[in-house]
Amino acid sequence: MEFWNPYTETLPREKLQKIEFSYFKNLLAYAKVNSRLYKDKLKGINIEDIKTFDDIKKIPFTYKEELRKWQEDVDPFPYGGLLGIDITNVSTFRQTSGTTGKPVYVPESYESWQWRIESWCHILYMAGFRPRHRVFLPFGYNVYVAFWEAHYAAEKIGCEVVPGGALDTKGRVNKIMELKANAMCGTPTYLLNIAQEAVSMGIDPKSLGIERALGAGEPLPEATRKRIEATYNCKMFDHIGSTETCGFAGMCEAQEGLHIVEPFFLIELLDKDTLSKEVSEGELGVIVITPLGRRSFPVIRFNTNDVAIKGPSTCACGRTSIKLMEIVGRVDDISKIRGVLFSPKTVEQLIRSEFPEVVEYELVVTREDIMDKITLRMEADPKLGKDEAAEVAKRLGERHKIKTNLSCKVVVEPAGTLPRYDLKAKRFKDMRGKH
Amino acid sequence: MDEIRNEIMNIEKSAEKLKALAKDNNAIRKNAEIILTFLYILKFITPATD
Repeated sequence: MEFWNPYTETLPREKLQKIEFSYFKNLLAYAKVNSRLYKDKLKGINIEDIKTFDDIKKIPFTYKEELRKWQEDVDPFPYGGLLGIDITNVSTFRQTSGTTGKPVYVPESYESWQWRIESWCHILYMAGFRPRHRVFLPFGYNVYVAFWEAHYAAEKIGCEVVPGGALDTKGRVNKIMELKANAMCGTPTYLLNIAQEAVSMGIDPKSLGIERALGAGEPLPEATRKRIEATYNCKMFDHIGSTETCGFAGMCEAQEGLHIVEPFFLIELLDKDTLSKEVSEGELGVIVITPLGRRSFPVIRFNTNDVAIKGPSTCACGRTSIKLMEIVGRVDDISKIRGVLFSPKTVEQLIRSEFPEVVEYELVVTREDIMDKITLRMEADPKLGKDEAAEVAKRLGERHKIKTNLSCKVVVEPAGTLPRYDLKAKRFKDMRGKH
Repeated sequence: MDEIRNEIMNIEKSAEKLKALAKDNNAIRKNAEIILTFLYILKFITPATD
């Protein structure tokens, strides 16, 4: 078994914990002096009182809303009180996607960026990316962090990178073929869109020669992961991260959960209701994460609002890091519809595992009088006739009811009418209270 | 790992010296700073465990 860093990736857990605790204290001391946000947040806290791992819980969480607040009308523009270095040392601007509100502007120094890249090297190496790979990166190279880390990390581990920006999907299919790219990174949605475009061009996606792919930006249900593998005849891996936290966990060859990149990150998986107790293996917890070596933008105990199932710290690959077995989604993705808890991920699982004829879909929840109504808009494979598509829609409605305990109206839309996404897909639209 | 850590410390001393010597030469100073950046990462990925 090969590792990017055999030393840190196989350290016994108690040693990893000790290192992370020491890095955590260093970061606290640094942030208290250099970040205005943490000067304020940590003013009542004496760092010397943080003596044990459990004492970490004395440090307050950081929430995304706070990051926004500390950037509004606070100097220096545009980073405000989040900046952890002198502004003249900022080398790159990034920003969050703004999916949940005003974007957060993220400053990276050369040092912090290289630290992120080093962390990402673990993610790519775990996913089997090697110098023999020519990696195609089909994303818009712009202000969003997206796959910028993948670009630099792939270079660092010795791959050849093909920047696939500023091309439409057809152009990207052609470029993959022209250069015989054999690895790729993309959102799961976009990887499927590329395959669909290839099919519409009369090209079997399996013939593109993609051996490995790494997903990001969206939850990757197992059914979707397997569908991408079957579509391209490749191995598909997942990872999780965000602009604020960096990429912090990736999937190894065992393809069972995601390894936290330790000791780069301190992860806490906390009981969703109390946010105080660490959950046990197999239980659902909210991910709270601290990037331990990024000084340009210190973020301490960042509550991601993502919910995951805690896995074991043993793996067939030999790594000793904590694993997340499944990213269930965002706390606020789970909503109540007609009094029933509903997760859009359940519908994605259903469609990807049982309905290969559905090439794109969208879920819309509306309220009519006092009744919540779900409409599932779907596009069928263009090869299907009208009657066949109607039959698929009927079966989908029935299966939706069984899987979610909620009935829905399935509408077949003409091919190409539903939105396609390069980055984060927004297939769930809750319109209740918006009209 | 001890030998590796010692070597990192030696390079760090040299890079700091190089940076100081090149205070009037942007190109050399910047490249010395870049070496120091990677030394920060090297130290981060080779922590002592005792």
